[in-house]
Amino acid sequence: MREMIRLENLSKSFSGLEVIKNISFTLSEGEVLSIIGPSGSGKSTMLRIITQLERADNGTLTVDGMTMFHSEDGRAIYSKPEDLRKIGLKMGLVFQSFNLFPHFSVLRNITEAQRAVLRRDKAEAEEKAMLLLRKMGIEDKANQYPFQLSGGQQQRVSIARALALDPDMLFFDEPTSALDPELTREILKVIRELAEERMTMAVVTHEMHFAKAISDYAIFMDNGVIAEEGIPEELFGNPKEERTRKFIASFEE
Amino acid sequence: MQGLLMQMLEGTAVSLRIFFLTILFSLPLGFVVAKGRMTSISIIRWITDLYIQIMRGTPLILQLIFVYFAPYYIFGASYDRFTACIIAFVINYSAYFAEIYRSGLQSIDKGQYEAAKVLGFSRSYTFFHIVLPQVIKRILPALGNEVITLVKDTALAQTIGVSELFRVAQTASSRVFSTVPIFIAGVFYFVMNYIVSRLFSIFEKKLSYYR
Repeated sequence: MREMIRLENLSKSFSGLEVIKNISFTLSEGEVLSIIGPSGSGKSTMLRIITQLERADNGTLTVDGMTMFHSEDGRAIYSKPEDLRKIGLKMGLVFQSFNLFPHFSVLRNITEAQRAVLRRDKAEAEEKAMLLLRKMGIEDKANQYPFQLSGGQQQRVSIARALALDPDMLFFDEPTSALDPELTREILKVIRELAEERMTMAVVTHEMHFAKAISDYAIFMDNGVIAEEGIPEELFGNPKEERTRKFIASFEE
Repeated sequence: MQGLLMQMLEGTAVSLRIFFLTILFSLPLGFVVAKGRMTSISIIRWITDLYIQIMRGTPLILQLIFVYFAPYYIFGASYDRFTACIIAFVINYSAYFAEIYRSGLQSIDKGQYEAAKVLGFSRSYTFFHIVLPQVIKRILPALGNEVITLVKDTALAQTIGVSELFRVAQTASSRVFSTVPIFIAGVFYFVMNYIVSRLFSIFEKKLSYYR
């Protein structure tokens, strides 16, 4: 099976504080990985390193056969900028706070990168955008501006924006944490549909039932390490570690 | 009376030249200063900060005098009053514009940069197409304030002998023993600033299609 992400011995500190300690995992094509754990456990930082928003201190990361960084003399050595750019284009990221461009219409939010980065022409980019908006059930919002949309609609636009560049894998950084339960369901439905289409995904989430239902593999992070990992039935249904059990139980109230 | 109005219109033309030349140079220069103020190179940041502190911390009238007379005392060479006036206004207003730009740039959420980076936009594309339009919208009210102040500040150019509107009015006023010319000048300034503030409201309205 095609290995989309191979992360080995990643570590990262912020001003002396070690937030990720020697983490390794792999993500294969078509697989959905969920990453759970308390805030401050390093989940988001790990995702941000993979999507090049933060730099690794040490470790090796191979993305679909291309090396993003490798460990040498105890530090991460990054590959050359052209390679990093190519690797970046393989992935999409959906943020907790959407981060839509407020001055662009919904349509232009989705066409802008297609045109500026992938050099698609206007008609092609718009066709693609409309297709995705239809899939997200919000094609009637194409000409509106982000501030006119609900949080759930904004998040769907941001998913469409990421998908428009045809990434090989999609990452979600707490995509529903800024949404109320009803809007959360809208987004989870979209992610579930993507999972059914065998989109390769890694999702940082606090939605335990959802994570259990959609993922092929789950990781529980605590204090910068992977405290426990396994298939969701095991990790959620029968956790071995005390802290995993406590963490999952805290959502059951 | 007609002669007086003609003189005042000529004075207005000088004031407007000061105004437009200052805008022309200080708007872009202010951006360079803002960048210097925000750089990670501490020596540049320190120098630009000192420059801004001096420009904001001393009277413009003093800066005009300094810019015009300092070369004379240091090198014994004097130069054109109008040029000196433009230099003084430009270095003063660049400092103020720089602080406005900085406030605008720093108000942009870092999520905008992150989204742009993940989507593969280059740094310059991100700046010109994602960040700058949002900065302009946010700084427009502060910018409008500063530009209105500039219209009134042009009256200070008379300190180094530039015959702008206020100086013409004052001279006329003492010639005819009446404050009427000064009131007329007041009306002129008011009209100019009325146009400036209308223009700014039009810009603000144009950018009000998003939040």
